[in-house]
Amino acid sequence: MTHRIVVDLATGTTTQVEYTVEEQAVYDAAVAAQAAEALAAQAAEVPAETPAEPTAEPTQEA
Amino acid sequence: MAVTLNASTSSGFVQTADTSGELNLQSNGSTKLSVLSTGVSGTLVQGTAVASTSGTSIDFTNIPSWVKRITVMFDGVSTNGTSMVCIQLGDSGGIETTGYNGGATNQSPTYTANTVGLNLVGQVVANASFMGQAVLTNISGNNWVLSAGVQLSISNIAAAGGSKTLSATLDRIRITTVNGTDAFDAGSINIQYEG
Repeated sequence: MTHRIVVDLATGTTTQVEYTVEEQAVYDAAVAAQAAEALAAQAAEVPAETPAEPTAEPTQEA
Repeated sequence: MAVTLNASTSSGFVQTADTSGELNLQSNGSTKLSVLSTGVSGTLVQGTAVASTSGTSIDFTNIPSWVKRITVMFDGVSTNGTSMVCIQLGDSGGIETTGYNGGATNQSPTYTANTVGLNLVGQVVANASFMGQAVLTNISGNNWVLSAGVQLSISNIAAAGGSKTLSATLDRIRITTVNGTDAFDAGSINIQYEG
């Protein structure tokens, strides 16, 4: 489970608070969305198929 | 003469025959405020540094209602991602994630406007840590302003400014990241507060 650190200034205690089931679900959904976004960005970066090498320009004949 | 007032012990009022002219206010035997010939001391409260080595956020709760200035200090803090570290404010209704004005920028100009919190840097680079401090000051009512300056481990400096008006008296702050999912993995964080 994911957690947060909570410092209570009234008591001076520091505790590790585990996410609730609902918070964990939100966290998991956010991570999944980020992963999907990264994949989409990666796909968009794939270069388009390189066109065939152009043939040499024909020289003007005299 | 020195005078000590302690509201919670049997020796609640102590007069000491000296020439210091001190007035000390105590709670449970511990001096909380001293009026000295050189000024007033004891209004600055130092928290205990907490390791920012895990978790997606670090909360400081039960901030007293009389607080007017909070300094948040960072030393070698980093996360496992590239989302910007920010400070969120909260009150009895919980941490607020909207209504933040201002933004932050890095030395190499990368300005990022605040969204879910008060950003400390304009951009985060993977595996970079930072050190510095952010000062939150109460300007009036429930309106708080922030100024921050931090040094990043990638030889880059970031500056930040912003404001946030809460719906009620501030009683907590949260150090987290904009995406809310990156986790802290190094450094330490502490706060000081004063009224």
